Amino acid sequence: MITQTQGNNEMINNLDKAVKENSKDAPKWLEEYRSNALNRFQELGIPNVKDEEWKYTNISSIAKTSFQGAQNNEDTTLDSLKNYINEKDINIVFINGFFSKKFSTIDDSSSGISISTLQDAILSDEKKIKSLLEKYNEKETTSFVALNKALSTDGILISIEKKAVMKKLIHILHISDTQATSFTSPRTIITSEKLSEATVLESHIGLNNDQTYLANALTDIFLEENAILHYCKIQAESKKAYHLGNTRVWQERNSNFNSLSVMIGSAINRNDLDIVLNGEGINSTLNGLYMPFDKQHMDNHTCVDHRFPNCTSNQLYKGILSDASRAVFNGKIFVKDLAQQTNSYQLNKNILLGKDCRVDTKPQLEIFADDVKCTHGATIGQLNEDELFYLQTRCIPRKEAIRMLSKGFINDLLFHFEDDNVSQKIHQLLDPSLNKL
Amino acid sequence: MIEIKNIHAKVAGGDTEILKGINLTINPGEVHAIMGPNGSGKSTLSKIIAGHPEYEVTEGEILYESNFKKTNILDLEPEERAREGIFLAFQYPVEIPGVNTSVFLRAAFNEICKHQGAEEMDTLDFDEYIRSKMKLLEMDEKFITRPVNEDFSGGEKKRNEILQMAVLNPRFAVLDETDSGLDIDSMRIVSDGVNKLKAKGNAQLVITHYQRLLNYIVPDFVHILIDGKIVKSEGKELALAVEEKGYDWLIK
Repeated sequence: MITQTQGNNEMINNLDKAVKENSKDAPKWLEEYRSNALNRFQELGIPNVKDEEWKYTNISSIAKTSFQGAQNNEDTTLDSLKNYINEKDINIVFINGFFSKKFSTIDDSSSGISISTLQDAILSDEKKIKSLLEKYNEKETTSFVALNKALSTDGILISIEKKAVMKKLIHILHISDTQATSFTSPRTIITSEKLSEATVLESHIGLNNDQTYLANALTDIFLEENAILHYCKIQAESKKAYHLGNTRVWQERNSNFNSLSVMIGSAINRNDLDIVLNGEGINSTLNGLYMPFDKQHMDNHTCVDHRFPNCTSNQLYKGILSDASRAVFNGKIFVKDLAQQTNSYQLNKNILLGKDCRVDTKPQLEIFADDVKCTHGATIGQLNEDELFYLQTRCIPRKEAIRMLSKGFINDLLFHFEDDNVSQKIHQLLDPSLNKL
Repeated sequence: MIEIKNIHAKVAGGDTEILKGINLTINPGEVHAIMGPNGSGKSTLSKIIAGHPEYEVTEGEILYESNFKKTNILDLEPEERAREGIFLAFQYPVEIPGVNTSVFLRAAFNEICKHQGAEEMDTLDFDEYIRSKMKLLEMDEKFITRPVNEDFSGGEKKRNEILQMAVLNPRFAVLDETDSGLDIDSMRIVSDGVNKLKAKGNAQLVITHYQRLLNYIVPDFVHILIDGKIVKSEGKELALAVEEKGYDWLIK
């Protein structure tokens, strides 16, 4: 671990003061929680490329930029959001990190679910929120998780109640509508109680494509026994923004976590998805899709921790790279000695369309049980010339053929979710990129 | 319709000449067959006509006449040749995972519509159109909902080629060993399909190893291609002679 403390205070103005101010009226435990997290962040510092975990993703440009706390934007119009908000859904909207009551459509009467801001949750059910926040050991958290914990104030707690089957899509929408070099710390906690099922979409959208800002998001997901959660994260931040995302998933016995991560925007995007399979009979699906252009950099780190027998995890990450873009895939799989009969699969496929693009892909398996099935693979290649020629001989122009084959390459992921609504939103955000190929 | 003039070709970047001066003229309404032993350059010729980037033409030209205008198609991209009405039925149709057959066919068809200044067909109309063509080839309707050629049997792939030919309705079609991998019934169905697509204004070039296909698709001329050159051209009876005697007697 690196301990580079220099420069931290440059990145975020008056970090100590900001944390203190956030906790002005907070209960004592929360104040401590934040200051502990701050200490942790300051102890770890901002990682650099000497750190094995950050070897291929250089964030010195983030460390050098000076970000200030984001301001709420009252001028954001419904019109600018209408492409993203669908009346049929439960919409939980944040503007520049601030919960927006105006744009959110949380139907109080919807049974089976309770949604509250973290601030409200602290007032109404302090014990619950405290136990959720303190679930993970502070000593194990990484820099940016710690930074989010220290700085996040607004956030959302979603509880899908026992046996509830949610038909409506739950859409958490983080909008950045800013003219300043600011930072946000989106914080989401989802608990899927026993035997429940729901679909959650977490999207991060930048409205101003020329603006540099930093979104440091942290999402914690807890699945109780037999719970099912379909979870999609779409990152479509501004092209000059930085998005650092951490999603931590804790699964209990027989639960099913089915996820897709879609990366479209931002200059540098790092997404960490960590899953703990803390029981038998668990199923986890981790899928991902990234399409960088120009000099965009997209990094997916996954970590799947098999702790008990008879569980399955599936990972499929696909990327289409254009221009001089870069992508990183790093997939860790742990199979602990107790976790016999584990099935764990991992595949990362990449198509390089640009002349100067680059992919670094790295599987990392640590297996301590002897009766398991684990496979991993990675491919990096170009589109098949024979396939292109075939389409061309059928009148389809080369450019269109490239688009068609690229779409075909990711087709299985585009329709990964049964919920058409989610597929539709993915398409809507991804189509401009596909049309650019 | 098409004049192949003194075509010399090699694999792009390679040294070995595969075609060593091919001359062939095909008029509207005619069916020509090219036969020849393995490695004689039959498939190379078909790929050069379609514009495969793997091959380099070092000499000669291919003049294609449409609307009373002759164009050297070697200057055109593959898709431009296709839009002008040149079609290649592949010996080994390519599997295209993730691309739905009907979406693919409609895109191809609409490119032609666009080229001819006609209105593009919407999904519903095209659906009806394609179903009529599929009936012609006795194809199962579920074909078009599957990705192009993926997990198709050899026979299904070949039928799919002819379906595409039926949809695109080319003026000049090259059928590259369409009979290979087909059982007797499929050969009959495929050949029937091809014959139904024959018209006064269009022409076909059939490449095959065996005379058998030519019982179904009857050629006006048969050419024997050996070592990159056409060594003999006659009527359909030449195919029977080859079937009986092989190619040895043609090698001088």
